[in-house]
Amino acid sequence: MKKINFDKVFSFILVSLLGLFILRVLYSVAGEEAARFTADHYINFGVEETSAINIVTAILFDYRAFDTLGEATVIFTAASVVALLLPRHEASMLKTEFTPVVQQSIAFVLPFLWIISIFLIAYGHLSPGGGFSGGVIISAISILIIFTYGYRYMTRRFNVKKLSLIEDIGALAFLTIGLAGIIAGGTFLANSQVGIYPGTPGELLSGGLMPLSNFAVAAKVGTGLSVIFLSLARED
Amino acid sequence: MVLVFPAIAVLISMGIYAVLTQKNMIRIIIGISIVESAIILLLGAIAYIPEGVAPILDQPYDTVVDPLPQALGLTAVVINASTTAIMLALVIKLYNRYQTLDIHEIRKLRG
Repeated sequence: MKKINFDKVFSFILVSLLGLFILRVLYSVAGEEAARFTADHYINFGVEETSAINIVTAILFDYRAFDTLGEATVIFTAASVVALLLPRHEASMLKTEFTPVVQQSIAFVLPFLWIISIFLIAYGHLSPGGGFSGGVIISAISILIIFTYGYRYMTRRFNVKKLSLIEDIGALAFLTIGLAGIIAGGTFLANSQVGIYPGTPGELLSGGLMPLSNFAVAAKVGTGLSVIFLSLARED
Repeated sequence: MVLVFPAIAVLISMGIYAVLTQKNMIRIIIGISIVESAIILLLGAIAYIPEGVAPILDQPYDTVVDPLPQALGLTAVVINASTTAIMLALVIKLYNRYQTLDIHEIRKLRG
């Protein structure tokens, strides 16, 4: 008993020192007026170069699309690992059934959630949103369906295999979009550098391949997180 | 901006304290998640510029916050979700095998 208390006190002192150190570093970093060359470039020339109004999406899918590819790979790996580790049984640990009131209201809400997600994905280069947030809402739809109508209802329509297939198609679509940059004479995942249909900034069809990559990433993120939840919810 | 930094330091310290002292594996995962959330808060805080607008340039602007940490924050969110899911899956596997969540018990039961 005494040893555990000593451990806790020791950890507390260690963690407090760490917190003070972090605070010292943060204040010294904030005190300096660092020159933000890259950020200034993105802000001043971002719209002109990529014709996407949302600069965050322009960074994610144009300037640093290669980072996004790595990020998509992380989700892919996580979904594969979780689906591999957990047992393959059809039963679920979610045994509670909701009343018809909840089921009817969720059935009413679901189309609106689809509209929001598709809007966020399609207008990702013009307004807040993008493939990642839209994909997360799609996975939230599947989680809602599993909670209200049960695990079996969901797996009858979309089992893990089908969802994984959609995820693979999303990943392949993103890679194919990357190859378009090479075909147009640039590097892998090049978009605005090689001038693929820049369009007018502010219109729906602008930003070159950005809307397409938004849809590919959304398919990947939505189905990947759904696979993760389906795998975590099933039990032997 | 100045007030956010103590909050970040406290959150990171809290998370690491939980990882060091807790015995339940779920609580350790909660501690790791707290640290990850603090990192996202840090990314938002260092992107902030006083009186800057969001980096959606559809109207005239004066100053804009730094878009680069925000893009990195999106990456961090996705990776947090993935790592948390893998940790939970491993905990389910360990629980099925050892019938306990106590990390000290599992260390004793080696083999």
